[in-house]
Amino acid sequence: MNFLDEVIQIVFRSLMVSGLATILATLWSIPISLFLLTTDFKYRGIVQDIFNSLVSIPTVVLGLFLYILLSRFGPLGFLGLLYTPIAISIGQAILITPLMVSVITTSLRRLKGGVWETAISLGATRLQASIVLLDEGLAQLVRSMLIGFNRAIGELGVALMVGGNIRGFTRVMTTAIALEVTRGNFELALNLGAIFLIITGTLTVVVRILGVRE
Amino acid sequence: MNLERKILLISIVGVILASALLIHWFLLKRETKVLRVSTTTSLYATGLLDKLAEEFKKEHPNVVIQFIAVGSGEALRKASQGDADMVLVHAPGLEKEYMDKGVIIERKIFAYNYFIIVGPKDDPAGIRNLDPITAMKKIYMAGEKGLAIFVSRGDNSGTHERELFLWSMAGLNPEGKGWYKDTGSGMAQTLMVANNMPAYTLSDIGTFLKLKDKLTQLDILVSKGDIMFNIYSAYIVAKSPNRDLAREFINYLISSESQKIIGNYGVKDFGQSLFYPASSKPKSELIEAWKQLSKNSYGG
Repeated sequence: MNFLDEVIQIVFRSLMVSGLATILATLWSIPISLFLLTTDFKYRGIVQDIFNSLVSIPTVVLGLFLYILLSRFGPLGFLGLLYTPIAISIGQAILITPLMVSVITTSLRRLKGGVWETAISLGATRLQASIVLLDEGLAQLVRSMLIGFNRAIGELGVALMVGGNIRGFTRVMTTAIALEVTRGNFELALNLGAIFLIITGTLTVVVRILGVRE
Repeated sequence: MNLERKILLISIVGVILASALLIHWFLLKRETKVLRVSTTTSLYATGLLDKLAEEFKKEHPNVVIQFIAVGSGEALRKASQGDADMVLVHAPGLEKEYMDKGVIIERKIFAYNYFIIVGPKDDPAGIRNLDPITAMKKIYMAGEKGLAIFVSRGDNSGTHERELFLWSMAGLNPEGKGWYKDTGSGMAQTLMVANNMPAYTLSDIGTFLKLKDKLTQLDILVSKGDIMFNIYSAYIVAKSPNRDLAREFINYLISSESQKIIGNYGVKDFGQSLFYPASSKPKSELIEAWKQLSKNSYGG
C-alpha cells in the first residue's frame, strides 16, 4: 500500500469512527441533558456532579473496562465487537457523553430561563417546550457536538484497547501516531500530529462559520 | 418546525454511517477468515510482520491477518483472554508459564537475534566487551558509587524479562535504588531516556539500529554471550477456533521462503539484518537455549 494512500485512509477512518461516536453520544446526551435541566428531583445536583467529574475519566481506564467487557471470554464477548471500528465508536461515544451532557446543560441553562418558562406559560407541553429550547439552542448544540467530536478523535486509550490498532482496519490517527513513536519515527509522528491538528482545526473553523450563519 | 427535519436528517446520516460500517465489517467477516495475532512490539515495529503477512496473503487471498502489537506480557495475557488466535513473543520465562497453564501450545522458534547492553560513550562503569553478567555487576557497583545510571523498561515485556534475568544471574537486585530508573515505556522511548541521561540500558538490536542517528551519547558496549540470545517463538492459542489457520501461518513462518525474507530484512536500511532466521542454527541448539532462558520466570 502506498504510504500517502494509507495516511488518507487513516484520516478518513478517524473521521468516520469519531463522527459516528459523536452522533451516538448526541442521541442520548440531549435527552439526558433535557432531563437534568427541566426535571426537579432530589439528587439532581449529585447526578450533575457525577457527570461533571466523569469528564476527566482517563481514556485508558475506560478502554480497559470496555476491553474486559468485550473480550472473547468477557460478558459481551459473544457480540464479537472487540477489535472492530464499531467498538471504538461505542467506546468514544461513552467517553464523550459526560462532556457533552456537561456542556449542553451549561449552555442551555442560560437559555432555559426565558425560552422554556415562556413556552410552558403559553400552554406548551414539556415535549413541545423542549423542542423550542433545542431549536433556540441549536448553535450551542452544534458547538457541544464539536467539542465532543474533538475529544473523541483526539483520544488514544479507547482506540488502542478496544481497536487494537490493526493496520487497514482499526488504525486511527492517534494510534498511528503512537505506533510511529514506538517505532522511533519521531519526525513522522510529529508530521502526522500536524496533519491531525490541521484537520480538526479546519473542521472547527468550518463549523464555526456555519454556526454564525444559523 | 424545521428542527424536526434537521433531527431527521441527522438521524438518517447517522444510520447510513452506522450501517455502512456494519456492512463493511460483516462482509469482512463472512468472505474472509480473520487470523488475529498478538505480537511483541519489537517484532511488529520493524515492519517485518507486515511484509511476511503480505507474502502469505498472495497464496491465501481470503485470509486477513490482524496484528495486535503489545508487549510480550500483554500479548500472552490477551491470548489467555481468548482475544488472539496465535502469539509471537520473546519472553521464554513467561511463555513457559502460559504453556504450563495450557493457554498456548505448539511452540515454533522462527527467528532470533541478540540483546545488547548500551551505555554512555565514556562508559563510566567500564563494561565494554565484558561478558553480560560481569557487566551487570559492574554497572551495579558504579551505580552504588553514583557513577552510573541504569534505565529499565519496567513494562513486563520480553526485554524487561531478560533484564531481570540478567540481574538475578548476577545475584543482584537493583529494585528501589536511586540510580535504577524505571521508564515503564517502549524500547524507543527508553533508549531516548537513556540517551538523555546518559545511562545504561538493555535493548534489542533492531530498535537500537533504527534510532542510532538520534542516540548520539550511546554505544553498544556488550553484545556477546549466550544469555543475550533473543528468541522469537510462535504459538497457537489452545482455545482459539482458528487453530488450523494459525498452524498454517506458523508453518509459513518457518518455511524456507519466509526464513529467507527474515534473514534479509533490514540489510538494505541498516547494513545488517535485524533478525536471523531460525533455520540458520541447528534446531536442537535453539531449543536448548530457549530451555535455559525459560528457567527463571518473572512477572505474569
